[in-house]
Amino acid sequence: MIETVHLRKEFGTKVAVHDLNLTVPLGRVTGLLGLNGAGKTTTIKILATLLRQTSGTVSVGGLDPVRQPRAVRRRINLIAGGERMVYARMTGRENLWYFGQLYDVPGRVLRPRVAELLDLVGLAEAADTRVERYSRGMAQRLSIARGLVNDPDYLLLDEPTLGLDAPIARDLRRVVAALAERGKGVLLTSHYLAEVEQLCAHVYVIGDGRHLAEGTPAELVAQSGCHRTVRVAVVELTPRVEAAARAFAPAVRIAPGGVVELSGPGDVAGALTSTIIEAGGALKGLEIAEPTLEDAILALNDRPAAVIA
Amino acid sequence: MVVAWATLRRSWLVTRRAYPWSYFIGTLLLGVFTMGVAYLGLRAIAGDQVSAEFAGRAGTADYLGYIAVGATAYMFVVHGILWIGKALIQEQREGTMGALVVAPARRLPYLLGFAAFAFTAVALEVAVLLGFALLLGVRPTATGAVDAVLAVAALALAVFGMSVVLSNVMIVAGEAHITQNTVFQAMAVLSGFTFPRDYLPEALRWLGELIPITAAMDVIRGVFTAGTGLDPARLGVAALIGFGYAAAGLLTMPWAERRAMERSF
Repeated sequence: MIETVHLRKEFGTKVAVHDLNLTVPLGRVTGLLGLNGAGKTTTIKILATLLRQTSGTVSVGGLDPVRQPRAVRRRINLIAGGERMVYARMTGRENLWYFGQLYDVPGRVLRPRVAELLDLVGLAEAADTRVERYSRGMAQRLSIARGLVNDPDYLLLDEPTLGLDAPIARDLRRVVAALAERGKGVLLTSHYLAEVEQLCAHVYVIGDGRHLAEGTPAELVAQSGCHRTVRVAVVELTPRVEAAARAFAPAVRIAPGGVVELSGPGDVAGALTSTIIEAGGALKGLEIAEPTLEDAILALNDRPAAVIA
Repeated sequence: MVVAWATLRRSWLVTRRAYPWSYFIGTLLLGVFTMGVAYLGLRAIAGDQVSAEFAGRAGTADYLGYIAVGATAYMFVVHGILWIGKALIQEQREGTMGALVVAPARRLPYLLGFAAFAFTAVALEVAVLLGFALLLGVRPTATGAVDAVLAVAALALAVFGMSVVLSNVMIVAGEAHITQNTVFQAMAVLSGFTFPRDYLPEALRWLGELIPITAAMDVIRGVFTAGTGLDPARLGVAALIGFGYAAAGLLTMPWAERRAMERSF
Protein backbone atom coordinates (compact mmCIF):
# COMPACT_ATOMS: atom_id res chain seq x y z
CA MET A 1 0.00 0.00 0.00
CA ILE A 2 1.12 3.56 -0.68
CA GLU A 3 0.36 5.81 2.26
CA THR A 4 0.99 9.48 2.94
CA VAL A 5 0.52 10.97 6.39
CA HIS A 6 0.36 14.74 6.89
CA LEU A 7 2.21 15.23 3.60
CA ARG A 8 3.36 18.79 3.00
CA LYS A 9 5.42 20.26 0.17
CA GLU A 10 6.62 23.82 -0.07
CA PHE A 11 8.29 25.50 -3.04
CA GLY A 12 9.82 28.57 -1.45
CA THR A 13 6.90 30.49 0.03
CA LYS A 14 4.27 28.57 -1.95
CA VAL A 15 2.71 25.58 -0.24
CA ALA A 16 1.81 23.10 -2.96
CA VAL A 17 0.54 20.29 -0.72
CA HIS A 18 -0.97 20.81 2.75
CA ASP A 19 -1.31 18.02 5.27
CA LEU A 20 -2.43 15.39 2.77
CA ASN A 21 -3.35 11.89 3.93
CA LEU A 22 -4.07 9.31 1.27
CA THR A 23 -3.75 5.59 0.70
CA VAL A 24 -3.35 3.66 -2.52
CA PRO A 25 -3.95 -0.02 -1.85
CA LEU A 26 -2.96 -2.85 -4.15
CA GLY A 27 -5.66 -4.19 -6.46
CA ARG A 28 -7.51 -0.90 -6.89
CA VAL A 29 -7.44 2.19 -9.07
CA THR A 30 -7.42 5.24 -6.82
CA GLY A 31 -8.19 8.64 -8.30
CA LEU A 32 -6.62 11.96 -7.35
CA LEU A 33 -8.65 14.86 -8.67
CA GLY A 34 -8.50 18.59 -8.50
CA LEU A 35 -8.33 21.68 -10.65
CA ASN A 36 -5.07 22.89 -12.21
CA GLY A 37 -2.55 23.80 -9.50
CA ALA A 38 -4.33 21.68 -6.91
CA GLY A 39 -1.15 19.75 -6.09
CA LYS A 40 -1.87 16.49 -7.93
CA THR A 41 1.35 16.35 -9.95
CA THR A 42 3.45 17.43 -6.98
CA THR A 43 1.93 14.63 -4.90
CA ILE A 44 2.54 12.07 -7.62
CA LYS A 45 6.14 13.21 -8.08
CA ILE A 46 6.77 12.91 -4.35
CA LEU A 47 5.42 9.35 -4.44
CA ALA A 48 7.64 8.67 -7.47
CA THR A 49 10.74 9.86 -5.51
CA LEU A 50 11.29 12.72 -7.96
CA LEU A 51 10.61 15.30 -5.26
CA ARG A 52 11.09 15.16 -1.51
CA GLN A 53 8.35 16.28 0.85
CA THR A 54 8.94 19.21 3.21
CA SER A 55 7.29 17.32 6.07
CA GLY A 56 5.06 14.33 6.68
CA THR A 57 5.73 10.72 5.83
CA VAL A 58 5.37 8.60 2.72
CA SER A 59 5.43 4.83 2.62
CA VAL A 60 5.45 2.76 -0.58
CA GLY A 61 4.87 -0.90 0.16
CA GLY A 62 6.42 -0.35 3.58
CA LEU A 63 9.47 1.41 2.10
CA ASP A 64 10.51 4.98 2.79
CA PRO A 65 11.19 6.84 -0.50
CA VAL A 66 13.59 9.21 1.28
CA ARG A 67 15.74 6.50 2.89
CA GLN A 68 15.23 3.74 0.31
CA PRO A 69 14.65 5.51 -3.01
CA ARG A 70 16.16 2.78 -5.16
CA ALA A 71 14.09 0.04 -3.53
CA VAL A 72 10.96 2.15 -4.05
CA ARG A 73 11.86 2.83 -7.69
CA ARG A 74 12.05 -0.91 -8.38
CA ARG A 75 8.42 -1.27 -7.30
CA ILE A 76 6.86 1.76 -8.99
CA ASN A 77 6.69 3.50 -12.32
CA LEU A 78 5.35 6.81 -13.52
CA ILE A 79 3.53 7.69 -16.69
CA ALA A 80 3.03 11.41 -17.23
CA GLY A 81 0.87 12.32 -20.18
CA GLY A 82 2.27 15.83 -20.47
CA GLU A 83 5.89 14.69 -20.82
CA ARG A 84 7.42 12.58 -23.55
CA MET A 85 9.72 10.49 -21.35
CA VAL A 86 11.17 8.52 -24.29
CA TYR A 87 14.18 9.12 -26.52
CA ALA A 88 13.33 10.69 -29.88
CA ARG A 89 16.28 9.31 -31.83
CA MET A 90 15.76 5.72 -30.72
CA THR A 91 13.12 3.35 -31.98
CA GLY A 92 10.26 2.17 -29.83
CA ARG A 93 11.93 -1.20 -29.30
CA GLU A 94 15.29 0.38 -28.47
CA ASN A 95 13.64 2.69 -25.93
CA LEU A 96 11.97 -0.19 -24.11
CA TRP A 97 15.20 -2.20 -24.21
CA TYR A 98 17.16 0.71 -22.71
CA PHE A 99 14.65 1.36 -19.93
CA GLY A 100 14.59 -2.39 -19.24
CA GLN A 101 18.35 -2.15 -18.61
CA LEU A 102 17.84 0.80 -16.26
CA TYR A 103 15.42 -1.39 -14.28
CA ASP A 104 17.81 -4.36 -14.43
CA VAL A 105 15.19 -6.58 -16.09
CA PRO A 106 16.93 -9.83 -17.11
CA GLY A 107 17.35 -10.28 -20.86
CA ARG A 108 15.27 -13.48 -21.04
CA VAL A 109 12.36 -11.62 -19.41
CA LEU A 110 12.88 -8.33 -21.21
CA ARG A 111 12.76 -9.58 -24.80
CA PRO A 112 9.26 -11.10 -24.66
CA ARG A 113 8.05 -8.28 -22.40
CA VAL A 114 9.12 -5.62 -24.91
CA ALA A 115 7.24 -7.46 -27.65
CA GLU A 116 4.15 -7.82 -25.45
CA LEU A 117 4.18 -4.16 -24.45
CA LEU A 118 4.61 -2.95 -28.02
CA ASP A 119 1.68 -5.13 -28.99
CA LEU A 120 -0.35 -3.91 -26.02
CA VAL A 121 -0.01 -0.24 -27.02
CA GLY A 122 -0.50 -0.93 -30.71
CA LEU A 123 3.06 -0.15 -31.77
CA ALA A 124 4.18 -3.60 -32.94
CA GLU A 125 4.36 -2.45 -36.55
CA ALA A 126 6.19 0.77 -35.65
CA ALA A 127 8.53 -0.95 -33.18
CA ASP A 128 11.60 -0.30 -35.31
CA THR A 129 10.72 3.23 -36.34
CA ARG A 130 12.45 6.12 -34.59
CA VAL A 131 10.27 7.96 -32.09
CA GLU A 132 10.97 11.31 -33.83
CA ARG A 133 8.82 9.98 -36.66
CA TYR A 134 5.97 8.97 -34.34
CA SER A 135 2.83 11.05 -33.96
CA ARG A 136 2.22 12.55 -30.53
CA GLY A 137 -0.23 9.79 -29.73
CA MET A 138 2.25 7.09 -30.73
CA ALA A 139 4.96 8.62 -28.55
CA GLN A 140 2.48 8.77 -25.68
CA ARG A 141 1.62 5.11 -26.17
CA LEU A 142 5.30 4.22 -26.09
CA SER A 143 5.64 6.20 -22.88
CA ILE A 144 2.87 4.05 -21.41
CA ALA A 145 4.73 0.90 -22.46
CA ARG A 146 7.86 2.33 -20.82
CA GLY A 147 5.92 2.75 -17.60
CA LEU A 148 5.11 -0.95 -17.60
CA VAL A 149 8.55 -2.25 -18.55
CA ASN A 150 9.51 -3.12 -14.97
CA ASP A 151 6.12 -4.73 -14.20
CA PRO A 152 5.64 -2.31 -11.27
CA ASP A 153 3.57 -3.07 -8.18
CA TYR A 154 2.38 0.53 -8.13
CA LEU A 155 1.70 2.62 -11.18
CA LEU A 156 1.43 6.39 -10.93
CA LEU A 157 -0.54 7.79 -13.85
CA ASP A 158 -0.54 11.56 -14.33
CA GLU A 159 -2.95 12.39 -17.16
CA PRO A 160 -2.02 9.21 -19.03
CA THR A 161 -4.54 9.60 -21.85
CA LEU A 162 -3.73 13.23 -22.61
CA GLY A 163 -3.57 13.61 -26.38
CA LEU A 164 -4.53 10.03 -27.14
CA ASP A 165 -7.08 9.07 -29.79
CA ALA A 166 -10.33 7.73 -28.35
CA PRO A 167 -9.75 4.05 -29.28
CA ILE A 168 -6.24 4.06 -27.80
CA ALA A 169 -7.46 5.84 -24.67
CA ARG A 170 -10.18 3.20 -24.34
CA ASP A 171 -7.60 0.42 -24.72
CA LEU A 172 -5.42 2.07 -22.09
CA ARG A 173 -8.35 2.20 -19.69
CA ARG A 174 -8.82 -1.52 -20.22
CA VAL A 175 -5.14 -2.08 -19.48
CA VAL A 176 -5.34 0.00 -16.29
CA ALA A 177 -8.43 -1.86 -15.12
CA ALA A 178 -6.74 -5.19 -15.87
CA LEU A 179 -3.62 -4.14 -13.95
CA ALA A 180 -5.72 -3.42 -10.87
CA GLU A 181 -7.48 -6.77 -11.27
CA ARG A 182 -4.05 -8.42 -11.34
CA GLY A 183 -3.32 -6.85 -7.96
CA LYS A 184 -1.43 -3.69 -8.93
CA GLY A 185 -2.02 -0.46 -7.07
CA VAL A 186 -2.78 2.43 -9.43
CA LEU A 187 -2.99 6.13 -8.65
CA LEU A 188 -4.62 8.09 -11.45
CA THR A 189 -5.02 11.77 -12.14
CA SER A 190 -7.02 12.76 -15.18
CA HIS A 191 -8.97 15.66 -16.55
CA TYR A 192 -11.28 13.17 -18.24
CA LEU A 193 -13.69 12.63 -15.38
CA ALA A 194 -15.63 9.95 -17.22
CA GLU A 195 -12.36 8.01 -17.19
CA VAL A 196 -12.08 8.47 -13.43
CA GLU A 197 -15.70 7.46 -12.87
CA GLN A 198 -15.16 4.35 -14.98
CA LEU A 199 -11.89 3.23 -13.39
CA CYS A 200 -11.63 4.49 -9.84
CA ALA A 201 -13.09 2.67 -6.88
CA HIS A 202 -11.99 5.48 -4.58
CA VAL A 203 -11.25 9.11 -5.37
CA TYR A 204 -9.49 11.86 -3.43
CA VAL A 205 -10.37 15.44 -4.28
CA ILE A 206 -7.80 18.11 -3.48
CA GLY A 207 -7.80 21.86 -3.97
CA ASP A 208 -4.89 24.22 -3.29
CA GLY A 209 -3.01 21.18 -2.00
CA ARG A 210 -5.63 20.44 0.66
CA HIS A 211 -7.76 17.35 1.03
CA LEU A 212 -11.34 18.36 0.17
CA ALA A 213 -13.20 15.07 0.02
CA GLU A 214 -12.87 11.37 -0.70
CA GLY A 215 -15.05 8.42 -1.52
CA THR A 216 -16.48 6.55 -4.47
CA PRO A 217 -17.54 8.78 -7.37
CA ALA A 218 -21.17 8.38 -6.26
CA GLU A 219 -20.31 9.29 -2.67
CA LEU A 220 -18.43 12.38 -3.86
CA VAL A 221 -21.46 13.54 -5.81
CA ALA A 222 -23.59 13.06 -2.71
CA GLN A 223 -21.04 14.89 -0.51
CA SER A 224 -20.82 17.78 -2.94
CA GLY A 225 -24.45 18.74 -2.41
CA CYS A 226 -25.09 18.69 -6.16
CA HIS A 227 -28.61 17.60 -7.16
CA ARG A 228 -30.23 16.31 -10.28
CA THR A 229 -31.63 18.95 -12.61
CA VAL A 230 -35.08 18.66 -14.17
CA ARG A 231 -35.65 20.59 -17.42
CA VAL A 232 -39.18 20.87 -18.70
CA ALA A 233 -39.62 22.39 -22.17
CA VAL A 234 -43.08 23.88 -22.74
CA VAL A 235 -44.69 24.76 -26.06
CA GLU A 236 -45.65 28.26 -24.88
CA LEU A 237 -44.44 29.80 -21.64
CA THR A 238 -47.49 31.80 -20.60
CA PRO A 239 -47.40 34.07 -17.52
CA ARG A 240 -49.76 31.60 -15.78
CA VAL A 241 -47.41 28.67 -16.42
CA GLU A 242 -44.39 30.67 -15.27
CA ALA A 243 -46.19 31.82 -12.13
CA ALA A 244 -47.25 28.26 -11.33
CA ALA A 245 -43.69 27.00 -11.80
CA ARG A 246 -42.27 29.72 -9.55
CA ALA A 247 -44.95 29.04 -6.97
CA PHE A 248 -43.97 25.35 -7.05
CA ALA A 249 -40.39 26.22 -6.12
CA PRO A 250 -38.80 29.65 -5.83
CA ALA A 251 -35.51 28.15 -7.11
CA VAL A 252 -37.04 27.50 -10.52
CA ARG A 253 -35.06 29.07 -13.40
CA ILE A 254 -36.51 29.98 -16.77
CA ALA A 255 -33.99 29.21 -19.51
CA PRO A 256 -34.14 30.56 -23.06
CA GLY A 257 -36.65 28.77 -25.28
CA GLY A 258 -39.22 28.40 -22.56
CA VAL A 259 -37.40 25.75 -20.54
CA VAL A 260 -38.27 25.51 -16.87
CA GLU A 261 -35.28 24.27 -14.83
CA LEU A 262 -35.15 23.11 -11.26
CA SER A 263 -32.28 21.52 -9.33
CA GLY A 264 -32.94 19.94 -5.99
CA PRO A 265 -32.91 16.87 -3.85
CA GLY A 266 -35.42 14.11 -4.39
CA ASP A 267 -37.58 13.35 -7.40
CA VAL A 268 -39.38 16.55 -8.39
CA ALA A 269 -39.89 15.79 -12.09
CA GLY A 270 -43.39 14.36 -11.73
CA ALA A 271 -44.69 17.10 -9.44
CA LEU A 272 -43.20 19.91 -11.54
CA THR A 273 -44.62 18.63 -14.85
CA SER A 274 -48.04 18.12 -13.20
CA THR A 275 -47.98 21.70 -11.95
CA ILE A 276 -47.14 23.01 -15.43
CA ILE A 277 -49.86 20.94 -17.11
CA GLU A 278 -52.45 22.00 -14.52
CA ALA A 279 -51.55 25.64 -15.30
CA GLY A 280 -52.42 25.01 -18.98
CA GLY A 281 -48.92 24.35 -20.23
CA ALA A 282 -48.23 21.83 -22.98
CA LEU A 283 -45.00 19.83 -22.70
CA LYS A 284 -42.63 19.37 -25.61
CA GLY A 285 -39.72 17.82 -23.73
CA LEU A 286 -38.50 16.53 -20.37
CA GLU A 287 -34.90 15.97 -19.33
CA ILE A 288 -33.56 14.75 -16.00
CA ALA A 289 -29.80 15.35 -15.64
CA GLU A 290 -28.03 13.54 -12.84
CA PRO A 291 -25.13 15.48 -11.25
CA THR A 292 -21.77 14.42 -12.67
CA LEU A 293 -18.43 13.99 -11.00
CA GLU A 294 -17.37 17.19 -12.75
CA ASP A 295 -20.24 19.07 -11.06
CA ALA A 296 -19.13 17.57 -7.77
CA ILE A 297 -15.46 18.52 -8.21
CA LEU A 298 -16.36 22.09 -9.10
CA ALA A 299 -18.77 22.34 -6.18
CA LEU A 300 -16.28 20.84 -3.73
CA ASN A 301 -13.58 23.15 -4.93
CA ASP A 302 -15.80 26.19 -4.43
CA ARG A 303 -16.62 25.28 -0.85
CA PRO A 304 -14.42 26.36 2.04
CA ALA A 305 -12.36 23.52 3.51
CA ALA A 306 -13.98 24.00 6.91
CA VAL A 307 -17.43 23.36 5.48
CA ILE A 308 -16.29 20.15 3.79
CA ALA A 309 -14.55 18.91 6.93
CA MET B 1 27.91 -2.41 -15.56
CA VAL B 2 24.80 -3.40 -17.52
CA VAL B 3 23.65 0.21 -17.34
CA ALA B 4 27.06 1.50 -18.51
CA TRP B 5 27.00 -0.82 -21.52
CA ALA B 6 23.38 0.05 -22.35
CA THR B 7 24.14 3.77 -22.10
CA LEU B 8 27.22 3.37 -24.31
CA ARG B 9 25.08 1.61 -26.91
CA ARG B 10 22.36 4.24 -26.61
CA SER B 11 24.92 7.05 -27.10
CA TRP B 12 26.32 5.33 -30.18
CA LEU B 13 22.85 4.90 -31.73
CA VAL B 14 21.77 8.45 -30.99
CA THR B 15 25.02 10.10 -32.10
CA ARG B 16 25.19 8.11 -35.33
CA ARG B 17 21.65 9.22 -36.16
CA ALA B 18 21.92 12.82 -34.96
CA TYR B 19 25.35 13.68 -36.36
CA PRO B 20 26.38 11.16 -39.03
CA TRP B 21 29.66 13.01 -39.84
CA SER B 22 29.11 16.66 -39.10
CA TYR B 23 29.83 16.40 -35.37
CA PHE B 24 33.11 14.56 -35.95
CA ILE B 25 34.30 17.02 -38.57
CA GLY B 26 33.13 20.09 -36.66
CA THR B 27 34.90 19.12 -33.47
CA LEU B 28 38.06 18.10 -35.27
CA LEU B 29 38.38 21.49 -36.93
CA LEU B 30 38.99 23.15 -33.57
CA GLY B 31 42.18 21.16 -33.03
CA VAL B 32 43.26 21.50 -36.64
CA PHE B 33 42.84 25.29 -36.55
CA THR B 34 44.72 25.53 -33.26
CA MET B 35 47.59 23.55 -34.75
CA GLY B 36 47.44 25.47 -38.03
CA VAL B 37 47.50 28.90 -36.36
CA ALA B 38 50.42 27.83 -34.16
CA TYR B 39 52.30 26.59 -37.24
CA LEU B 40 51.70 29.82 -39.18
CA GLY B 41 52.61 31.94 -36.17
CA LEU B 42 55.87 30.08 -35.63
CA ARG B 43 56.83 30.34 -39.31
CA ALA B 44 55.52 33.82 -40.18
CA ILE B 45 55.96 35.75 -36.95
CA ALA B 46 58.62 34.02 -34.90
CA GLY B 47 60.72 32.95 -37.89
CA ASP B 48 61.00 29.43 -36.49
CA GLN B 49 62.70 30.81 -33.39
CA VAL B 50 61.61 29.87 -29.85
CA SER B 51 62.88 31.96 -26.98
CA ALA B 52 65.13 30.43 -24.35
CA GLU B 53 62.62 31.58 -21.73
CA PHE B 54 59.82 29.58 -23.38
CA ALA B 55 62.07 26.54 -23.77
CA GLY B 56 63.06 26.78 -20.14
CA ARG B 57 59.52 27.07 -18.86
CA ALA B 58 57.99 24.53 -21.26
CA GLY B 59 60.83 22.03 -20.89
CA THR B 60 61.19 21.86 -24.67
CA ALA B 61 62.16 24.03 -27.60
CA ASP B 62 59.76 22.15 -29.88
CA TYR B 63 56.93 24.71 -29.94
CA LEU B 64 54.79 22.80 -32.43
CA GLY B 65 55.16 19.61 -30.39
CA TYR B 66 54.13 21.59 -27.29
CA ILE B 67 51.06 22.98 -29.08
CA ALA B 68 50.18 19.59 -30.59
CA VAL B 69 50.07 17.97 -27.15
CA GLY B 70 48.13 20.92 -25.71
CA ALA B 71 45.60 21.09 -28.56
CA THR B 72 45.06 17.34 -28.46
CA ALA B 73 44.61 17.36 -24.69
CA TYR B 74 42.26 20.35 -24.89
CA MET B 75 40.10 18.56 -27.46
CA PHE B 76 40.09 15.47 -25.25
CA VAL B 77 39.00 17.52 -22.24
CA VAL B 78 36.41 19.70 -23.99
CA HIS B 79 34.74 16.85 -25.82
CA GLY B 80 34.79 14.65 -22.75
CA ILE B 81 33.05 17.36 -20.71
CA LEU B 82 30.57 18.04 -23.50
CA TRP B 83 29.55 14.40 -23.58
CA ILE B 84 29.62 13.47 -19.91
CA GLY B 85 28.82 16.79 -18.27
CA LYS B 86 25.91 17.56 -20.56
CA ALA B 87 24.32 14.11 -20.37
CA LEU B 88 21.80 15.02 -17.68
CA ILE B 89 20.85 18.44 -18.99
CA GLN B 90 20.29 16.80 -22.35
CA GLU B 91 17.84 14.45 -20.62
CA GLN B 92 16.16 17.50 -19.11
CA ARG B 93 15.82 19.16 -22.50
CA GLU B 94 14.56 15.99 -24.17
CA GLY B 95 11.90 15.50 -21.49
CA THR B 96 13.37 12.16 -20.39
CA MET B 97 14.87 13.19 -17.07
CA GLY B 98 11.82 12.12 -15.08
CA ALA B 99 11.88 8.68 -16.69
CA LEU B 100 15.60 8.36 -15.93
CA VAL B 101 15.37 9.54 -12.33
CA VAL B 102 12.38 7.34 -11.52
CA ALA B 103 14.39 4.28 -12.60
CA PRO B 104 16.53 2.57 -9.94
CA ALA B 105 19.76 2.64 -11.97
CA ARG B 106 22.66 4.39 -10.24
CA ARG B 107 24.12 7.46 -11.84
CA LEU B 108 27.77 6.27 -11.77
CA PRO B 109 27.38 3.48 -14.37
CA TYR B 110 25.12 5.74 -16.42
CA LEU B 111 27.82 8.42 -16.57
CA LEU B 112 30.54 5.81 -17.11
CA GLY B 113 28.60 4.68 -20.18
CA PHE B 114 28.74 8.23 -21.51
CA ALA B 115 32.42 8.43 -20.57
CA ALA B 116 33.21 5.20 -22.44
CA PHE B 117 31.49 6.54 -25.53
CA ALA B 118 33.09 9.98 -25.18
CA PHE B 119 36.63 8.67 -24.79
CA THR B 120 36.18 6.21 -27.68
CA ALA B 121 34.92 8.98 -29.95
CA VAL B 122 37.65 11.37 -28.79
CA ALA B 123 40.33 8.72 -29.37
CA LEU B 124 39.39 8.71 -33.05
CA GLU B 125 39.55 12.49 -33.18
CA VAL B 126 42.90 12.47 -31.39
CA ALA B 127 44.27 9.99 -33.95
CA VAL B 128 43.23 12.25 -36.83
CA LEU B 129 44.59 15.34 -35.12
CA LEU B 130 47.93 13.69 -34.42
CA GLY B 131 48.02 12.65 -38.08
CA PHE B 132 47.65 16.34 -39.00
CA ALA B 133 50.42 17.22 -36.53
CA LEU B 134 52.69 14.64 -38.21
CA LEU B 135 52.07 16.40 -41.53
CA LEU B 136 53.31 19.63 -39.93
CA GLY B 137 56.48 17.89 -38.86
CA VAL B 138 55.64 17.18 -35.24
CA ARG B 139 57.11 13.94 -33.90
CA PRO B 140 55.16 12.95 -30.75
CA THR B 141 57.16 11.14 -28.09
CA ALA B 142 56.48 9.74 -24.65
CA THR B 143 58.79 8.71 -21.84
CA GLY B 144 57.28 5.22 -21.76
CA ALA B 145 54.10 3.27 -22.44
CA VAL B 146 53.19 2.96 -18.75
CA ASP B 147 53.86 6.67 -18.24
CA ALA B 148 51.66 7.48 -21.23
CA VAL B 149 48.78 5.28 -20.06
CA LEU B 150 48.90 6.68 -16.52
CA ALA B 151 49.08 10.26 -17.78
CA VAL B 152 46.08 9.82 -20.08
CA ALA B 153 44.21 7.99 -17.31
CA ALA B 154 44.85 10.92 -14.96
CA LEU B 155 43.47 13.33 -17.55
CA ALA B 156 40.44 11.09 -18.15
CA LEU B 157 39.74 10.91 -14.41
CA ALA B 158 40.02 14.68 -14.15
CA VAL B 159 37.59 15.10 -17.05
CA PHE B 160 35.15 12.66 -15.47
CA GLY B 161 35.29 14.29 -12.04
CA MET B 162 34.87 17.74 -13.47
CA SER B 163 32.01 16.60 -15.71
CA VAL B 164 30.06 15.15 -12.79
CA VAL B 165 30.27 18.43 -10.89
CA LEU B 166 29.44 20.48 -13.99
CA SER B 167 26.51 18.19 -14.69
CA ASN B 168 25.01 19.15 -11.33
CA VAL B 169 25.63 22.86 -11.92
CA MET B 170 23.99 22.69 -15.34
CA ILE B 171 20.80 20.90 -14.26
CA VAL B 172 20.36 23.11 -11.20
CA ALA B 173 20.95 26.29 -13.23
CA GLY B 174 18.96 24.93 -16.16
CA GLU B 175 21.54 26.04 -18.70
CA ALA B 176 24.70 24.67 -20.22
CA HIS B 177 26.29 27.22 -22.53
CA ILE B 178 27.38 29.85 -20.02
CA THR B 179 28.62 27.20 -17.60
CA GLN B 180 30.60 25.18 -20.12
CA ASN B 181 32.09 28.17 -21.94
CA THR B 182 33.19 29.80 -18.70
CA VAL B 183 34.90 26.60 -17.64
CA PHE B 184 36.49 26.06 -21.05
CA GLN B 185 37.89 29.60 -21.08
CA ALA B 186 39.19 29.26 -17.53
CA MET B 187 40.88 25.96 -18.39
CA ALA B 188 42.41 27.36 -21.57
CA VAL B 189 44.06 30.10 -19.55
CA LEU B 190 44.87 28.35 -16.29
CA SER B 191 45.59 24.70 -17.07
CA GLY B 192 48.65 24.81 -19.31
CA PHE B 193 47.23 23.82 -22.69
CA THR B 194 48.81 26.46 -24.93
CA PHE B 195 51.52 28.10 -22.81
CA PRO B 196 53.49 27.15 -19.70
CA ARG B 197 51.67 28.00 -16.48
CA ASP B 198 54.86 29.61 -15.18
CA TYR B 199 53.93 32.68 -17.25
CA LEU B 200 50.85 33.22 -15.07
CA PRO B 201 50.85 35.38 -11.91
CA GLU B 202 51.12 33.24 -8.80
CA ALA B 203 47.51 33.88 -7.74
CA LEU B 204 46.23 32.55 -11.06
CA ARG B 205 48.51 29.53 -10.83
CA TRP B 206 46.92 28.67 -7.48
CA LEU B 207 43.47 29.29 -8.92
CA GLY B 208 44.35 26.81 -11.66
CA GLU B 209 45.04 24.19 -9.02
CA LEU B 210 41.32 24.16 -8.20
CA ILE B 211 40.66 22.73 -11.66
CA PRO B 212 41.41 18.99 -11.67
CA ILE B 213 42.60 19.22 -15.27
CA THR B 214 45.59 21.37 -14.26
CA ALA B 215 47.51 18.75 -12.27
CA ALA B 216 46.69 16.12 -14.92
CA MET B 217 48.08 18.44 -17.61
CA ASP B 218 51.31 18.78 -15.65
CA VAL B 219 51.58 14.99 -15.75
CA ILE B 220 50.83 15.00 -19.49
CA ARG B 221 53.49 17.65 -20.08
CA GLY B 222 56.13 15.69 -18.18
CA VAL B 223 55.46 12.53 -20.18
CA PHE B 224 54.71 13.91 -23.67
CA THR B 225 56.43 17.31 -23.82
CA ALA B 226 59.31 17.86 -21.41
CA GLY B 227 60.53 14.26 -21.40
CA THR B 228 60.96 14.32 -17.64
CA GLY B 229 58.72 11.28 -17.17
CA LEU B 230 55.87 10.65 -14.81
CA ASP B 231 55.74 13.05 -11.88
CA PRO B 232 54.35 10.89 -9.02
CA ALA B 233 53.52 13.91 -6.87
CA ARG B 234 51.46 15.63 -9.57
CA LEU B 235 49.91 12.28 -10.54
CA GLY B 236 48.83 11.85 -6.93
CA VAL B 237 47.38 15.36 -6.82
CA ALA B 238 45.56 14.78 -10.12
CA ALA B 239 44.10 11.48 -8.88
CA LEU B 240 43.11 12.98 -5.54
CA ILE B 241 41.37 16.01 -7.04
CA GLY B 242 39.79 13.93 -9.83
CA PHE B 243 38.35 11.38 -7.38
CA GLY B 244 37.35 14.20 -5.03
CA TYR B 245 35.38 15.99 -7.73
CA ALA B 246 33.75 12.75 -8.89
CA ALA B 247 32.80 11.73 -5.35
CA ALA B 248 31.47 15.18 -4.47
CA GLY B 249 29.51 15.34 -7.70
CA LEU B 250 27.97 11.90 -7.30
CA LEU B 251 27.07 12.50 -3.65
CA THR B 252 25.31 15.78 -4.43
CA MET B 253 23.66 14.55 -7.62
CA PRO B 254 20.40 13.35 -5.98
CA TRP B 255 20.00 16.83 -4.50
CA ALA B 256 20.76 18.46 -7.87
CA GLU B 257 18.27 16.20 -9.61
CA ARG B 258 15.55 17.10 -7.13
CA ARG B 259 16.30 20.80 -7.59
CA ALA B 260 16.10 20.29 -11.34
CA MET B 261 12.74 18.54 -10.98
CA GLU B 262 11.48 21.33 -8.73
CA ARG B 263 12.46 23.98 -11.25
CA SER B 264 9.84 22.64 -13.62
CA PHE B 265 7.05 23.50 -11.13
